[in-house]
Amino acid sequence: MSLLKVERLSKTFGTIRAVDSVSFEVRPGEIYGLLGPNGAGKTTSISMISGLLKPDGGEVFVGGKPFWSDPQAAKRIMGVVPQELAIYEELTGRENLEFWGRMAGLSSGEARSRAGELLEALTLTDRAKDAVKTYSGGMKRRINLGCALLHHPQLLLLDEPTVGIDPQARLNILEFIRNLRASGTAILYTTHYLEEAETLCQRIGIIDHGRLLAEGTLGELQERLGGDRVFLLEADFKDASPDAWGGFLQRFRIIQKTERQLVVAAIDKRDPSECLKELLGLPVHVENVTLKRPSLNDVFLQLTGRELRE
Amino acid sequence: MLRVLLAKDLRRAWRNPLPWLINLIVPLAMTALIGMVFGGHSDNGALGRIRFAVVDEDKSLLSDFLRGSANQNQGGKYLEPVFMEREDAMREINANKISAVLIIPTNFMHNYLLGREAVSLELVKNPAESIHPAVLEELLGAVVTAMNAISRNFQSEFPEWQAVFEGKTDYHKVSQLIDRAGDKLKTVKNYINPPLVSYEKEAPADKSKGDAAKDGETKSGAAKNSSTDSVFAYLLVGMSAMFLLFLAGNAMSDLYRELRQRTFERYQTMRDSLVPFIAGKAVFTVVMLLLCSGIMLGGGGLIFRIHWQHPLALMTLAFGYTCFAAALFALLVALMPDERRAAVLNNMAGMALGLVGGCAFPANQLPAFLREHITPLMPSYWFVDTARNLQFGGANVVWGLVALKLVVLGVVLLILAAMLFRRKFKMGLRA
Repeated sequence: MSLLKVERLSKTFGTIRAVDSVSFEVRPGEIYGLLGPNGAGKTTSISMISGLLKPDGGEVFVGGKPFWSDPQAAKRIMGVVPQELAIYEELTGRENLEFWGRMAGLSSGEARSRAGELLEALTLTDRAKDAVKTYSGGMKRRINLGCALLHHPQLLLLDEPTVGIDPQARLNILEFIRNLRASGTAILYTTHYLEEAETLCQRIGIIDHGRLLAEGTLGELQERLGGDRVFLLEADFKDASPDAWGGFLQRFRIIQKTERQLVVAAIDKRDPSECLKELLGLPVHVENVTLKRPSLNDVFLQLTGRELRE
Repeated sequence: MLRVLLAKDLRRAWRNPLPWLINLIVPLAMTALIGMVFGGHSDNGALGRIRFAVVDEDKSLLSDFLRGSANQNQGGKYLEPVFMEREDAMREINANKISAVLIIPTNFMHNYLLGREAVSLELVKNPAESIHPAVLEELLGAVVTAMNAISRNFQSEFPEWQAVFEGKTDYHKVSQLIDRAGDKLKTVKNYINPPLVSYEKEAPADKSKGDAAKDGETKSGAAKNSSTDSVFAYLLVGMSAMFLLFLAGNAMSDLYRELRQRTFERYQTMRDSLVPFIAGKAVFTVVMLLLCSGIMLGGGGLIFRIHWQHPLALMTLAFGYTCFAAALFALLVALMPDERRAAVLNNMAGMALGLVGGCAFPANQLPAFLREHITPLMPSYWFVDTARNLQFGGANVVWGLVALKLVVLGVVLLILAAMLFRRKFKMGLRA
């Protein structure tokens, strides 16, 4: 049974449809990545799942029960890590953890002992008594993460938890999240970093303009492009028309076409050398051909017509 | 939960005390300013002895009489004349050591008794003080009126009196002069005593006397003091009520910081009800306001030697008022989530409540419409009026009911604020 199930979730702000009929589910011990550019609807989705926003349509099930039938019960199961640093800078790291532990329903003793465990796990014990305002960006991010974990949530919602920190601090946080997953926590992870989604998540949903365009494992998403490889051709494609290239579109799927580049994937399982031979025989002067494994960016490109990094 | 929220906010305030210190300094500075305007602290809560210089350039018997009367009996209790030369006196006044200089010019007695031309006394007031020189001016006015009255009634005998003062007459003539003066004074007495027109103090003061008589010596002593510290106590209650509103606005603006830092949102991801969080902030505000009101009323009381008649009742009222103020500004935050616009709104609300509620001006001096229809509805008026009645109106003031009314209003406003916040959050409120 999934810990989180989202069905046709929708939200409109004025004339803007921020989330449009989004559905997915997250199972115990799984990291589900919601990948999309800024403004895609990731944070709005998390806000509705965590009860901060009331959806205009659709339903959220937490632990098998509709969220709004008993919001407090649902909130006891989940921990939410907001994108912003929602911590008190004047308080120490330990005081922040203990305070949020008390808010999550722990007793004073439980909060104190759990804060000690988390400080240890987040490698912040030596700075526990320092005010958070003296911490580095990465340390603040870790405390921000820790504040949602005091009550051992079964479901963790992470909204871009690594934004704005250095690579080393990011690796530390990702490692910590992997350990959480290993202990059976279900995690919904939103990000616009392709690498994070590729290396961290078991399943990925690609979201843009409020709509979930595709979802699946990395392999399943790559499969959408017709296999495990794509061809990148460099040439002058300004006046080129693939429609006129005698059945080309029946054998290749065009992922992207610009004036200088053409990215294509073979539709059927075909031998790469055979594909290469055909591509080199196109009625354009091909300057270079690159064969590569399709990335999530290629999937995003194919789904939206633009790169995620744009 | 409230205890945890309160401890968190108190810790934050302790670690970052500057905003609070600034907010505490402002009302204390205002109180000190009022104190300076009214001549600073004094014994017995009264105006204090007025130190002034007398420059006697006449060196006559009359000037000796004026000099001597300045520090006799009641005069000696309130006045502290020092006698010096003109240059020294001007030096003292420039050094702000005296409130005024009274100069009795040369030939003052001679000209006064001859009555040929108008004579004048010279009063140089210290421009750095306002109350003490004004009191001296009033006193001198009274002396001048008396001297005019004497001059008009005894003008015909002045030449003979002058001869007496100059030692040029015999004792028979002196005894005749005194006899005639006695007859004239007796006639004057019939005109002025008993007075045909008199006044009585207003009812609350009389009631206070009545209560004091009934309740024994303590209240009797208190009623006696109230005449001396009345201005300070009256003003301080109003000033405190007004500044407590501003302080409440400042304390509750911490909700904006919680919104901006997303800690309010984080709380909502853990708890369904917003009431504890907002109530926690209100409790924090109430605690801080009680502390501040203690400093303002207690500290101000010490500075002005005010004897608060019913301190427990006053603090209970202050508690009710702080509950109302905290809840009101919580509601304003909920109504106006934009921090910058809200700062203007909060100040306007504080000013309006303060002015219409009779904090800055006595309510009975407000325009009739406000005084009769709006002011009685103002919770600030409930507090200020009841606190002033407690101080000046005796023991029969229903302060408990007023305090309860303020607390109940506070709770209602707080629930409204929580409901409004919930609605706005559901609609997508972000700081």
